Amino acid sequence: MVAMSALLEIEAVTRRFGGLTAVDAVSAEIAQGALVGLIGPNGAGKTTLFNLISGVTPVTSGTIRLAGETITGLEPYQIARRGIGRTFQNLRIFPNMTVFDNVSVGPLGHTRNFWWEPLGLGGARAAAEREQITKSARDALARVGLSAEANELAANLSYGKRKYLEIARALAGRPRLLILDEPAAGLNERETSELARFIRELNGEGLTVLLVEHDMSLVMEICQRVMVLASGRKIADGTPAEVQRDAAVLAAYLGTEDEAHA
Amino acid sequence: MKPLALIGTVLAVAAVTAALLLSGSSYAVQVAITALIFVILTASLNLVTGTAGLMTLGHAAFYGVGAYAAALLSTKLGLSFWVTLPLAGLVTAFFGFLVALPTMRLTSIYFAVATLAIGEMIVVAITNWTGFTRGPMGIRGIPSITVFGHEGLTVNLLVVLAATLVSVWAIWRLTHSYYGNGLRALREDDQCAEAMGLNAVRLKIEVFTIACFFAGIAGALFAHTSGYISPESFRFGESILLLTMAVVGGLGSVPGSAIGAIILIVLPELLRGAGNVRMVAVGVVLFLCILFLPKGLFGEVSALAFARNQLRRAGLGWSR
Repeated sequence: MVAMSALLEIEAVTRRFGGLTAVDAVSAEIAQGALVGLIGPNGAGKTTLFNLISGVTPVTSGTIRLAGETITGLEPYQIARRGIGRTFQNLRIFPNMTVFDNVSVGPLGHTRNFWWEPLGLGGARAAAEREQITKSARDALARVGLSAEANELAANLSYGKRKYLEIARALAGRPRLLILDEPAAGLNERETSELARFIRELNGEGLTVLLVEHDMSLVMEICQRVMVLASGRKIADGTPAEVQRDAAVLAAYLGTEDEAHA
Repeated sequence: MKPLALIGTVLAVAAVTAALLLSGSSYAVQVAITALIFVILTASLNLVTGTAGLMTLGHAAFYGVGAYAAALLSTKLGLSFWVTLPLAGLVTAFFGFLVALPTMRLTSIYFAVATLAIGEMIVVAITNWTGFTRGPMGIRGIPSITVFGHEGLTVNLLVVLAATLVSVWAIWRLTHSYYGNGLRALREDDQCAEAMGLNAVRLKIEVFTIACFFAGIAGALFAHTSGYISPESFRFGESILLLTMAVVGGLGSVPGSAIGAIILIVLPELLRGAGNVRMVAVGVVLFLCILFLPKGLFGEVSALAFARNQLRRAGLGWSR
Protein backbone atom coordinates (compact mmCIF):
# COMPACT_ATOMS: atom_id res chain seq x y z
CA MET A 1 0.00 0.00 0.00
CA VAL A 2 2.87 2.36 0.78
CA ALA A 3 4.21 2.18 -2.75
CA MET A 4 0.85 3.17 -4.26
CA SER A 5 0.38 6.79 -5.22
CA ALA A 6 -2.72 8.63 -4.11
CA LEU A 7 -5.38 8.91 -6.82
CA LEU A 8 -7.71 11.10 -4.81
CA GLU A 9 -6.46 13.51 -2.17
CA ILE A 10 -8.92 15.29 0.09
CA GLU A 11 -7.27 18.05 2.08
CA ALA A 12 -9.01 19.73 5.01
CA VAL A 13 -12.30 19.95 3.14
CA THR A 14 -15.09 21.83 4.88
CA ARG A 15 -18.63 22.54 3.77
CA ARG A 16 -21.02 24.72 5.73
CA PHE A 17 -24.71 25.21 5.04
CA GLY A 18 -25.57 28.35 6.96
CA GLY A 19 -24.76 27.54 10.57
CA LEU A 20 -24.48 23.80 9.95
CA THR A 21 -21.06 22.32 9.24
CA ALA A 22 -21.96 19.26 7.18
CA VAL A 23 -18.35 18.30 6.45
CA ASP A 24 -15.74 19.53 8.90
CA ALA A 25 -12.05 19.63 7.90
CA VAL A 26 -12.00 16.13 6.47
CA SER A 27 -8.73 14.89 5.03
CA ALA A 28 -8.22 11.56 3.32
CA GLU A 29 -6.29 9.88 0.57
CA ILE A 30 -7.41 7.12 -1.71
CA ALA A 31 -4.60 5.14 -3.24
CA GLN A 32 -4.57 4.06 -6.86
CA GLY A 33 -6.23 0.65 -7.06
CA ALA A 34 -7.74 0.76 -3.59
CA LEU A 35 -11.20 -0.33 -2.52
CA VAL A 36 -12.18 2.07 0.22
CA GLY A 37 -15.39 2.28 2.19
CA LEU A 38 -16.89 5.43 3.61
CA ILE A 39 -19.44 4.81 6.33
CA GLY A 40 -21.23 6.73 8.99
CA PRO A 41 -24.64 7.06 10.59
CA ASN A 42 -27.45 9.00 8.90
CA GLY A 43 -26.61 12.66 8.63
CA ALA A 44 -22.88 12.08 9.08
CA GLY A 45 -22.04 14.02 5.93
CA LYS A 46 -21.27 11.08 3.63
CA THR A 47 -23.45 12.27 0.79
CA THR A 48 -22.25 15.86 1.21
CA LEU A 49 -18.62 14.71 1.01
CA PHE A 50 -19.54 12.70 -2.06
CA ASN A 51 -21.18 15.76 -3.63
CA LEU A 52 -18.09 17.83 -2.85
CA ILE A 53 -15.88 15.29 -4.64
CA SER A 54 -18.15 15.13 -7.68
CA GLY A 55 -18.57 18.91 -7.78
CA VAL A 56 -22.33 19.05 -7.26
CA THR A 57 -21.78 21.16 -4.14
CA PRO A 58 -18.88 23.64 -3.96
CA VAL A 59 -16.50 23.37 -1.00
CA THR A 60 -16.43 26.13 1.62
CA SER A 61 -12.70 25.57 2.09
CA GLY A 62 -10.12 22.91 1.39
CA THR A 63 -8.79 21.21 -1.71
CA ILE A 64 -9.57 18.00 -3.56
CA ARG A 65 -7.09 16.62 -6.07
CA LEU A 66 -7.48 13.82 -8.60
CA ALA A 67 -4.16 12.34 -9.74
CA GLY A 68 -2.42 15.49 -8.56
CA GLU A 69 -4.78 17.90 -10.34
CA THR A 70 -6.96 20.20 -8.25
CA ILE A 71 -10.61 19.56 -9.07
CA THR A 72 -12.26 21.82 -6.51
CA GLY A 73 -14.07 24.63 -8.28
CA LEU A 74 -14.69 22.61 -11.44
CA GLU A 75 -18.19 21.92 -12.77
CA PRO A 76 -19.56 18.38 -12.23
CA TYR A 77 -19.23 17.54 -15.93
CA GLN A 78 -15.58 18.62 -15.93
CA ILE A 79 -14.87 16.43 -12.92
CA ALA A 80 -16.64 13.51 -14.61
CA ARG A 81 -14.48 14.01 -17.70
CA ARG A 82 -11.36 13.87 -15.56
CA GLY A 83 -12.26 10.35 -14.61
CA ILE A 84 -14.67 10.21 -11.68
CA GLY A 85 -17.64 7.97 -12.39
CA ARG A 86 -20.51 7.72 -9.97
CA THR A 87 -23.82 6.14 -9.14
CA PHE A 88 -26.57 7.73 -7.10
CA GLN A 89 -28.09 6.98 -3.75
CA ASN A 90 -31.64 6.73 -5.10
CA LEU A 91 -30.90 5.04 -8.41
CA ARG A 92 -31.00 7.63 -11.16
CA ILE A 93 -31.26 5.94 -14.52
CA PHE A 94 -32.94 7.44 -17.60
CA PRO A 95 -36.24 5.51 -17.52
CA ASN A 96 -37.63 6.51 -20.94
CA MET A 97 -34.48 5.51 -22.79
CA THR A 98 -33.35 2.04 -23.82
CA VAL A 99 -30.76 0.20 -21.75
CA PHE A 100 -28.16 0.69 -24.47
CA ASP A 101 -28.93 4.40 -24.84
CA ASN A 102 -28.63 4.82 -21.07
CA VAL A 103 -25.17 3.31 -21.07
CA SER A 104 -24.07 5.23 -24.18
CA VAL A 105 -24.37 8.47 -22.21
CA GLY A 106 -21.40 7.39 -20.07
CA PRO A 107 -18.81 7.45 -22.88
CA LEU A 108 -20.70 10.22 -24.72
CA GLY A 109 -19.81 12.59 -21.89
CA HIS A 110 -16.14 12.11 -22.70
CA THR A 111 -16.43 13.01 -26.38
CA ARG A 112 -16.69 16.44 -27.92
CA ASN A 113 -20.25 15.71 -29.05
CA PHE A 114 -20.61 18.57 -31.52
CA TRP A 115 -24.09 19.22 -32.86
CA TRP A 116 -23.02 18.99 -36.49
CA GLU A 117 -21.67 15.46 -36.07
CA PRO A 118 -25.06 13.73 -36.51
CA LEU A 119 -25.52 15.68 -39.75
CA GLY A 120 -22.51 13.86 -41.17
CA LEU A 121 -20.14 16.80 -40.84
CA GLY A 122 -17.87 15.44 -38.09
CA GLY A 123 -15.42 13.66 -40.36
CA ALA A 124 -13.27 10.69 -39.38
CA ARG A 125 -12.75 11.83 -35.78
CA ALA A 126 -16.49 11.85 -35.07
CA ALA A 127 -16.92 8.47 -36.74
CA ALA A 128 -14.11 7.04 -34.59
CA GLU A 129 -15.71 8.53 -31.49
CA ARG A 130 -19.08 7.02 -32.38
CA GLU A 131 -17.47 3.61 -32.77
CA GLN A 132 -15.73 4.07 -29.45
CA ILE A 133 -19.03 4.96 -27.74
CA THR A 134 -20.70 1.88 -29.21
CA LYS A 135 -17.84 -0.35 -28.13
CA SER A 136 -17.61 1.07 -24.60
CA ALA A 137 -21.37 0.79 -24.12
CA ARG A 138 -21.48 -2.80 -25.41
CA ASP A 139 -18.51 -3.80 -23.25
CA ALA A 140 -20.05 -2.25 -20.15
CA LEU A 141 -23.38 -4.00 -20.77
CA ALA A 142 -21.60 -7.30 -21.27
CA ARG A 143 -19.60 -6.69 -18.08
CA VAL A 144 -22.77 -6.42 -15.96
CA GLY A 145 -24.63 -9.09 -17.93
CA LEU A 146 -27.29 -6.88 -19.48
CA SER A 147 -26.44 -7.42 -23.16
CA ALA A 148 -29.67 -9.31 -23.78
CA GLU A 149 -31.73 -6.39 -22.47
CA ALA A 150 -29.90 -3.74 -24.55
CA ASN A 151 -33.00 -2.70 -26.47
CA GLU A 152 -35.42 -2.82 -23.55
CA LEU A 153 -36.72 0.37 -22.04
CA ALA A 154 -34.74 1.00 -18.84
CA ALA A 155 -37.97 1.53 -16.89
CA ASN A 156 -38.97 -2.08 -17.63
CA LEU A 157 -35.95 -3.62 -15.90
CA SER A 158 -36.24 -5.15 -12.45
CA TYR A 159 -34.88 -3.12 -9.53
CA GLY A 160 -31.75 -5.23 -9.22
CA LYS A 161 -30.97 -4.95 -12.93
CA ARG A 162 -31.48 -1.20 -12.84
CA LYS A 163 -28.73 -1.05 -10.19
CA TYR A 164 -26.36 -2.85 -12.54
CA LEU A 165 -27.48 -0.60 -15.40
CA GLU A 166 -26.46 2.42 -13.37
CA ILE A 167 -23.07 0.88 -12.62
CA ALA A 168 -22.64 -0.05 -16.30
CA ARG A 169 -23.36 3.55 -17.31
CA ALA A 170 -20.59 4.75 -15.00
CA LEU A 171 -18.20 1.98 -16.15
CA ALA A 172 -18.80 2.78 -19.82
CA GLY A 173 -17.21 6.18 -19.17
CA ARG A 174 -14.02 4.29 -18.20
CA PRO A 175 -13.53 6.09 -14.90
CA ARG A 176 -10.27 6.17 -12.94
CA LEU A 177 -12.26 6.36 -9.72
CA LEU A 178 -15.69 4.83 -9.32
CA ILE A 179 -17.82 6.13 -6.47
CA LEU A 180 -20.81 4.02 -5.52
CA ASP A 181 -23.38 5.73 -3.32
CA GLU A 182 -25.23 3.15 -1.23
CA PRO A 183 -25.23 0.47 -3.94
CA ALA A 184 -26.74 -2.18 -1.68
CA ALA A 185 -29.79 -0.14 -0.68
CA GLY A 186 -32.96 -2.06 -1.47
CA LEU A 187 -31.19 -5.31 -2.33
CA ASN A 188 -31.79 -8.56 -0.51
CA GLU A 189 -29.00 -10.60 1.06
CA ARG A 190 -28.30 -12.75 -1.98
CA GLU A 191 -28.27 -9.76 -4.31
CA THR A 192 -26.00 -7.88 -1.93
CA SER A 193 -23.43 -10.65 -1.85
CA GLU A 194 -23.53 -10.89 -5.65
CA LEU A 195 -22.93 -7.16 -5.81
CA ALA A 196 -20.08 -7.49 -3.32
CA ARG A 197 -18.42 -10.09 -5.51
CA PHE A 198 -18.89 -7.88 -8.56
CA ILE A 199 -17.36 -4.82 -6.88
CA ARG A 200 -14.41 -6.90 -5.73
CA GLU A 201 -13.93 -8.17 -9.29
CA LEU A 202 -13.92 -4.62 -10.66
CA ASN A 203 -11.35 -3.64 -8.07
CA GLY A 204 -9.32 -6.73 -8.92
CA GLU A 205 -9.12 -5.48 -12.51
CA GLY A 206 -7.41 -2.33 -11.23
CA LEU A 207 -10.34 0.04 -10.80
CA THR A 208 -10.19 2.31 -7.75
CA VAL A 209 -13.50 2.19 -5.90
CA LEU A 210 -14.93 4.35 -3.16
CA LEU A 211 -17.97 2.81 -1.59
CA VAL A 212 -20.30 5.03 0.38
CA GLU A 213 -22.57 2.99 2.61
CA HIS A 214 -24.95 3.47 5.46
CA ASP A 215 -25.00 -0.23 6.19
CA MET A 216 -21.70 -1.51 7.59
CA SER A 217 -21.86 -5.16 6.60
CA LEU A 218 -21.07 -4.82 2.88
CA VAL A 219 -18.23 -2.40 3.54
CA MET A 220 -16.70 -4.56 6.26
CA GLU A 221 -16.90 -7.57 3.98
CA ILE A 222 -15.11 -6.23 0.90
CA CYS A 223 -13.14 -3.06 1.70
CA GLN A 224 -9.44 -3.00 2.45
CA ARG A 225 -9.81 0.28 4.25
CA VAL A 226 -12.73 2.00 5.90
CA MET A 227 -13.22 5.64 6.78
CA VAL A 228 -15.89 6.61 9.25
CA LEU A 229 -17.67 9.96 9.29
CA ALA A 230 -19.80 11.19 12.17
CA SER A 231 -21.29 14.68 12.45
CA GLY A 232 -19.16 15.85 9.55
CA ARG A 233 -15.83 14.74 11.03
CA LYS A 234 -13.67 11.80 10.16
CA ILE A 235 -13.54 9.79 13.38
CA ALA A 236 -11.74 6.68 12.18
CA ASP A 237 -9.70 5.43 9.25
CA GLY A 238 -8.23 1.96 9.06
CA THR A 239 -8.81 -1.67 8.22
CA PRO A 240 -12.32 -3.03 8.82
CA ALA A 241 -11.07 -4.90 11.90
CA GLU A 242 -9.52 -1.76 13.39
CA VAL A 243 -12.57 0.34 12.70
CA GLN A 244 -14.92 -2.22 14.22
CA ARG A 245 -12.96 -2.11 17.49
CA ASP A 246 -12.79 1.68 17.54
CA ALA A 247 -14.65 3.09 20.51
CA ALA A 248 -15.55 6.34 18.79
CA VAL A 249 -17.10 4.38 15.92
CA LEU A 250 -19.11 2.21 18.28
CA ALA A 251 -20.28 5.32 20.08
CA ALA A 252 -21.29 7.01 16.86
CA TYR A 253 -23.26 3.98 15.68
CA LEU A 254 -24.75 2.97 19.01
CA GLY A 255 -25.03 6.47 20.36
CA THR A 256 -23.67 5.66 23.85
CA GLU A 257 -22.32 8.87 25.32
CA ASP A 258 -19.97 7.40 27.91
CA GLU A 259 -17.94 5.46 25.36
CA ALA A 260 -17.38 8.52 23.20
CA HIS A 261 -14.46 9.90 25.21
CA ALA A 262 -12.33 6.79 24.76
CA MET B 1 -35.46 4.43 -39.75
CA LYS B 2 -36.14 1.01 -41.20
CA PRO B 3 -35.78 0.91 -45.00
CA LEU B 4 -39.35 -0.26 -45.48
CA ALA B 5 -40.76 2.61 -43.43
CA LEU B 6 -38.53 5.03 -45.32
CA ILE B 7 -39.69 3.77 -48.73
CA GLY B 8 -43.30 3.84 -47.55
CA THR B 9 -42.95 7.44 -46.34
CA VAL B 10 -41.32 8.57 -49.58
CA LEU B 11 -44.04 6.90 -51.66
CA ALA B 12 -46.81 8.36 -49.51
CA VAL B 13 -45.35 11.89 -49.71
CA ALA B 14 -44.89 11.58 -53.49
CA ALA B 15 -48.43 10.22 -53.96
CA VAL B 16 -50.04 12.97 -51.87
CA THR B 17 -48.01 15.66 -53.64
CA ALA B 18 -48.96 14.31 -57.07
CA ALA B 19 -52.62 14.05 -56.06
CA LEU B 20 -52.60 17.64 -54.80
CA LEU B 21 -51.04 18.98 -57.98
CA LEU B 22 -53.33 16.95 -60.24
CA SER B 23 -56.45 17.97 -58.33
CA GLY B 24 -55.86 21.56 -59.39
CA SER B 25 -57.38 22.76 -56.11
CA SER B 26 -55.43 25.83 -55.00
CA TYR B 27 -57.18 25.64 -51.65
CA ALA B 28 -55.93 22.10 -51.01
CA VAL B 29 -52.39 23.10 -52.05
CA GLN B 30 -52.51 26.10 -49.71
CA VAL B 31 -53.59 23.87 -46.83
CA ALA B 32 -50.77 21.46 -47.67
CA ILE B 33 -48.21 24.31 -47.61
CA THR B 34 -49.46 25.45 -44.21
CA ALA B 35 -49.35 21.88 -42.93
CA LEU B 36 -45.74 21.45 -44.11
CA ILE B 37 -44.65 24.71 -42.46
CA PHE B 38 -46.21 23.46 -39.24
CA VAL B 39 -44.40 20.15 -39.64
CA ILE B 40 -41.08 22.06 -39.49
CA LEU B 41 -42.29 24.10 -36.52
CA THR B 42 -43.56 21.11 -34.59
CA ALA B 43 -40.51 18.98 -35.31
CA SER B 44 -38.20 21.75 -34.11
CA LEU B 45 -40.33 22.39 -31.02
CA ASN B 46 -40.36 18.67 -30.33
CA LEU B 47 -36.55 18.57 -30.51
CA VAL B 48 -36.35 21.10 -27.68
CA THR B 49 -39.36 20.04 -25.66
CA GLY B 50 -39.93 16.35 -26.38
CA THR B 51 -36.32 15.23 -26.78
CA ALA B 52 -34.31 17.65 -24.63
CA GLY B 53 -37.13 18.24 -22.11
CA LEU B 54 -37.11 22.05 -22.21
CA MET B 55 -40.69 23.18 -22.28
CA THR B 56 -40.86 26.26 -24.48
CA LEU B 57 -44.02 28.34 -24.73
CA GLY B 58 -42.68 30.96 -27.10
CA HIS B 59 -41.83 29.01 -30.22
CA ALA B 60 -44.35 30.87 -32.39
CA ALA B 61 -42.60 34.15 -31.59
CA PHE B 62 -39.36 32.82 -33.09
CA TYR B 63 -41.38 31.70 -36.11
CA GLY B 64 -42.44 35.37 -36.25
CA VAL B 65 -38.86 36.58 -36.01
CA GLY B 66 -38.00 34.44 -39.04
CA ALA B 67 -41.06 35.63 -40.96
CA TYR B 68 -40.32 39.30 -40.25
CA ALA B 69 -36.61 38.87 -40.99
CA ALA B 70 -37.46 37.38 -44.40
CA ALA B 71 -40.20 39.93 -45.11
CA LEU B 72 -38.06 42.93 -44.17
CA LEU B 73 -34.96 41.68 -45.96
CA SER B 74 -36.90 41.09 -49.16
CA THR B 75 -39.14 44.19 -49.14
CA LYS B 76 -36.56 46.70 -47.85
CA LEU B 77 -33.34 45.35 -49.35
CA GLY B 78 -34.82 43.53 -52.33
CA LEU B 79 -33.08 40.25 -51.48
CA SER B 80 -34.42 37.11 -53.15
CA PHE B 81 -36.04 34.22 -51.31
CA TRP B 82 -32.90 32.10 -51.71
CA VAL B 83 -30.95 34.65 -49.68
CA THR B 84 -33.63 35.52 -47.14
CA LEU B 85 -34.36 31.86 -46.35
CA PRO B 86 -30.96 31.05 -44.79
CA LEU B 87 -30.64 34.57 -43.38
CA ALA B 88 -34.02 34.30 -41.64
CA GLY B 89 -32.85 31.01 -40.12
CA LEU B 90 -29.59 32.54 -38.92
CA VAL B 91 -31.20 35.72 -37.55
CA THR B 92 -33.73 33.64 -35.62
CA ALA B 93 -31.02 31.29 -34.38
CA PHE B 94 -29.09 34.31 -33.12
CA PHE B 95 -32.23 35.58 -31.33
CA GLY B 96 -32.70 32.15 -29.82
CA PHE B 97 -29.08 32.06 -28.72
CA LEU B 98 -29.44 35.45 -26.98
CA VAL B 99 -32.59 34.25 -25.23
CA ALA B 100 -31.00 30.93 -24.27
CA LEU B 101 -27.88 32.42 -22.66
CA PRO B 102 -29.57 33.83 -19.55
CA THR B 103 -32.54 31.44 -19.34
CA MET B 104 -30.83 28.03 -19.58
CA ARG B 105 -29.96 27.94 -15.91
CA LEU B 106 -33.66 28.14 -15.06
CA THR B 107 -35.23 24.79 -14.34
CA SER B 108 -38.34 23.24 -15.84
CA ILE B 109 -41.45 25.39 -15.59
CA TYR B 110 -39.48 28.53 -14.71
CA PHE B 111 -37.87 28.18 -18.10
CA ALA B 112 -41.31 27.64 -19.66
CA VAL B 113 -42.61 30.84 -18.06
CA ALA B 114 -39.52 32.76 -19.22
CA THR B 115 -40.03 31.63 -22.83
CA LEU B 116 -43.72 32.58 -22.58
CA ALA B 117 -42.76 36.08 -21.43
CA ILE B 118 -40.02 36.50 -24.02
CA GLY B 119 -42.35 35.26 -26.76
CA GLU B 120 -44.95 37.84 -25.82
CA MET B 121 -42.28 40.55 -25.61
CA ILE B 122 -41.17 39.75 -29.15
CA VAL B 123 -44.75 39.92 -30.47
CA VAL B 124 -45.45 43.15 -28.59
CA ALA B 125 -42.24 44.64 -29.96
CA ILE B 126 -43.21 43.66 -33.52
CA THR B 127 -46.70 45.08 -32.99
CA ASN B 128 -45.55 48.43 -31.62
CA TRP B 129 -42.41 49.14 -33.62
CA THR B 130 -44.56 50.50 -36.42
CA GLY B 131 -41.78 52.49 -38.08
CA PHE B 132 -39.87 49.29 -38.80
CA THR B 133 -42.46 46.51 -38.94
CA ARG B 134 -45.62 48.50 -39.82
CA GLY B 135 -47.08 47.12 -36.59
CA PRO B 136 -50.56 45.58 -36.65
CA MET B 137 -51.01 46.50 -40.32
CA GLY B 138 -48.45 43.85 -41.15
CA ILE B 139 -46.19 43.64 -44.16
CA ARG B 140 -47.72 43.01 -47.57
CA GLY B 141 -46.26 42.52 -51.00
CA ILE B 142 -43.59 40.04 -49.92
CA PRO B 143 -42.15 38.65 -53.17
CA SER B 144 -43.05 35.03 -53.82
CA ILE B 145 -40.64 32.16 -54.35
CA THR B 146 -39.15 31.96 -57.83
CA VAL B 147 -37.25 29.03 -59.29
CA PHE B 148 -35.62 29.77 -62.66
CA GLY B 149 -38.22 32.42 -63.33
CA HIS B 150 -41.16 30.17 -62.42
CA GLU B 151 -43.51 31.06 -59.60
CA GLY B 152 -46.94 30.15 -58.34
CA LEU B 153 -48.59 27.66 -56.03
CA THR B 154 -46.95 24.59 -57.54
CA VAL B 155 -43.50 26.10 -57.10
CA ASN B 156 -44.40 27.13 -53.55
CA LEU B 157 -45.55 23.63 -52.67
CA LEU B 158 -42.48 21.94 -54.10
CA VAL B 159 -40.02 24.35 -52.49
CA VAL B 160 -41.76 24.14 -49.11
CA LEU B 161 -41.84 20.36 -49.42
CA ALA B 162 -38.11 20.26 -50.17
CA ALA B 163 -37.33 22.57 -47.24
CA THR B 164 -39.51 20.44 -44.97
CA LEU B 165 -37.82 17.22 -46.01
CA VAL B 166 -34.34 18.67 -45.41
CA SER B 167 -35.39 20.12 -42.03
CA VAL B 168 -37.06 16.92 -40.89
CA TRP B 169 -34.04 14.90 -42.00
CA ALA B 170 -31.71 17.15 -39.99
CA ILE B 171 -33.94 17.00 -36.91
CA TRP B 172 -34.24 13.23 -37.32
CA ARG B 173 -30.44 12.91 -37.39
CA LEU B 174 -30.07 15.12 -34.34
CA THR B 175 -32.68 13.08 -32.47
CA HIS B 176 -31.52 9.61 -33.48
CA SER B 177 -27.83 9.77 -32.74
CA TYR B 178 -25.58 9.75 -29.72
CA TYR B 179 -26.06 13.51 -29.68
CA GLY B 180 -29.78 12.85 -29.35
CA ASN B 181 -29.09 10.42 -26.49
CA GLY B 182 -27.34 13.28 -24.73
CA LEU B 183 -30.41 15.47 -25.23
CA ARG B 184 -32.70 12.72 -23.91
CA ALA B 185 -30.46 12.34 -20.88
CA LEU B 186 -31.06 16.04 -20.16
CA ARG B 187 -34.79 15.49 -20.36
CA GLU B 188 -34.67 12.48 -18.07
CA ASP B 189 -32.32 13.89 -15.43
CA ASP B 190 -30.02 16.80 -16.24
CA GLN B 191 -28.00 16.64 -13.00
CA CYS B 192 -27.30 12.99 -13.60
CA ALA B 193 -26.32 13.75 -17.21
CA GLU B 194 -23.79 16.27 -15.87
CA ALA B 195 -22.33 13.61 -13.61
CA MET B 196 -21.70 11.56 -16.79
CA GLY B 197 -19.64 14.39 -18.26
CA LEU B 198 -22.26 16.14 -20.38
CA ASN B 199 -22.14 19.91 -20.37
CA ALA B 200 -25.86 20.42 -19.83
CA VAL B 201 -25.91 24.19 -20.23
CA ARG B 202 -23.99 24.06 -23.50
CA LEU B 203 -26.27 21.35 -24.88
CA LYS B 204 -29.42 23.24 -23.88
CA ILE B 205 -28.23 26.48 -25.50
CA GLU B 206 -27.28 24.55 -28.63
CA VAL B 207 -30.53 22.69 -29.02
CA PHE B 208 -32.61 25.80 -28.37
CA THR B 209 -30.60 27.74 -30.95
CA ILE B 210 -30.98 24.95 -33.50
CA ALA B 211 -34.74 24.77 -32.95
CA CYS B 212 -34.98 28.53 -33.40
CA PHE B 213 -33.04 28.22 -36.66
CA PHE B 214 -35.72 25.88 -37.99
CA ALA B 215 -38.50 28.11 -36.66
CA GLY B 216 -36.87 30.93 -38.64
CA ILE B 217 -36.80 28.78 -41.78
CA ALA B 218 -40.50 28.04 -41.30
CA GLY B 219 -41.15 31.77 -40.85
CA ALA B 220 -39.39 32.64 -44.10
CA LEU B 221 -41.38 29.98 -45.95
CA PHE B 222 -44.60 31.38 -44.51
CA ALA B 223 -43.72 34.99 -45.40
CA HIS B 224 -42.81 34.19 -48.98
CA THR B 225 -45.67 31.79 -49.66
CA SER B 226 -48.43 33.95 -48.16
CA GLY B 227 -47.08 37.33 -49.32
CA TYR B 228 -48.51 38.98 -46.22
CA ILE B 229 -47.66 38.67 -42.52
CA SER B 230 -48.94 40.36 -39.38
CA PRO B 231 -48.17 39.87 -35.66
CA GLU B 232 -51.43 37.94 -35.20
CA SER B 233 -49.90 34.75 -36.63
CA PHE B 234 -47.19 34.50 -33.97
CA ARG B 235 -49.01 34.90 -30.68
CA PHE B 236 -49.01 32.66 -27.63
CA GLY B 237 -51.99 30.70 -28.97
CA GLU B 238 -49.89 29.48 -31.89
CA SER B 239 -47.17 28.28 -29.49
CA ILE B 240 -49.80 26.30 -27.62
CA LEU B 241 -51.08 24.88 -30.92
CA LEU B 242 -47.51 23.73 -31.71
CA LEU B 243 -47.23 22.13 -28.29
CA THR B 244 -50.56 20.39 -28.88
CA MET B 245 -49.31 19.05 -32.21
CA ALA B 246 -46.20 17.68 -30.49
CA VAL B 247 -48.23 16.05 -27.71
CA VAL B 248 -50.74 14.49 -30.12
CA GLY B 249 -47.96 13.18 -32.37
CA GLY B 250 -45.83 12.12 -29.43
CA LEU B 251 -43.19 13.92 -27.38
CA GLY B 252 -39.72 13.19 -28.70
CA SER B 253 -40.91 11.63 -31.97
CA VAL B 254 -40.06 13.12 -35.37
CA PRO B 255 -42.71 11.24 -37.39
CA GLY B 256 -45.12 12.04 -34.56
CA SER B 257 -44.40 15.75 -35.01
CA ALA B 258 -45.19 15.50 -38.69
CA ILE B 259 -48.42 13.59 -38.21
CA GLY B 260 -49.54 15.72 -35.25
CA ALA B 261 -49.02 18.89 -37.29
CA ILE B 262 -50.84 17.51 -40.32
CA ILE B 263 -53.81 16.28 -38.25
CA LEU B 264 -54.23 19.58 -36.43
CA ILE B 265 -53.95 21.69 -39.61
CA VAL B 266 -56.10 19.50 -41.82
CA LEU B 267 -58.80 18.60 -39.27
CA PRO B 268 -59.97 22.19 -38.64
CA GLU B 269 -60.00 22.76 -42.41
CA LEU B 270 -62.22 19.72 -42.91
CA LEU B 271 -64.53 21.09 -40.23
CA ARG B 272 -64.60 24.58 -41.69
CA GLY B 273 -68.34 24.21 -42.35
CA ALA B 274 -68.91 23.87 -38.61
CA GLY B 275 -67.80 27.44 -37.95
CA ASN B 276 -66.15 28.20 -34.64
CA VAL B 277 -67.04 24.79 -33.28
CA ARG B 278 -63.99 23.51 -35.17
CA MET B 279 -61.63 24.95 -32.55
CA VAL B 280 -63.54 22.97 -29.94
CA ALA B 281 -62.77 19.90 -32.03
CA VAL B 282 -59.05 20.66 -31.70
CA GLY B 283 -59.44 20.77 -27.94
CA VAL B 284 -61.35 17.49 -28.00
CA VAL B 285 -58.56 15.85 -30.01
CA LEU B 286 -56.00 16.94 -27.41
CA PHE B 287 -58.20 15.82 -24.54
CA LEU B 288 -58.94 12.40 -26.04
CA CYS B 289 -55.30 12.01 -26.92
CA ILE B 290 -54.09 12.61 -23.36
CA LEU B 291 -56.82 10.34 -22.06
CA PHE B 292 -56.40 7.37 -24.41
CA LEU B 293 -52.97 7.88 -25.95
CA PRO B 294 -50.88 9.33 -23.13
CA LYS B 295 -47.72 9.01 -25.21
CA GLY B 296 -49.35 10.51 -28.29
CA LEU B 297 -49.17 8.49 -31.48
CA PHE B 298 -45.44 7.67 -31.36
CA GLY B 299 -44.09 9.37 -28.26
CA GLU B 300 -41.26 8.36 -25.98
CA VAL B 301 -42.68 9.99 -22.87
CA SER B 302 -46.26 10.35 -21.75
CA ALA B 303 -47.42 13.94 -21.60
CA LEU B 304 -48.58 13.53 -18.02
CA ALA B 305 -45.29 12.02 -16.87
CA PHE B 306 -43.53 14.85 -18.66
CA ALA B 307 -45.61 17.49 -16.89
CA ARG B 308 -45.11 15.76 -13.55
CA ASN B 309 -41.36 15.66 -14.10
CA GLN B 310 -41.33 19.37 -14.92
CA LEU B 311 -43.19 20.21 -11.73
CA ARG B 312 -41.09 17.87 -9.61
CA ARG B 313 -37.89 19.55 -10.75
CA ALA B 314 -39.35 22.92 -9.87
CA GLY B 315 -40.08 21.58 -6.41
CA LEU B 316 -43.83 21.83 -7.00
CA GLY B 317 -44.53 18.21 -7.80
CA TRP B 318 -47.04 15.79 -6.51
CA SER B 319 -45.35 12.54 -5.56
CA ARG B 320 -45.00 9.62 -7.91
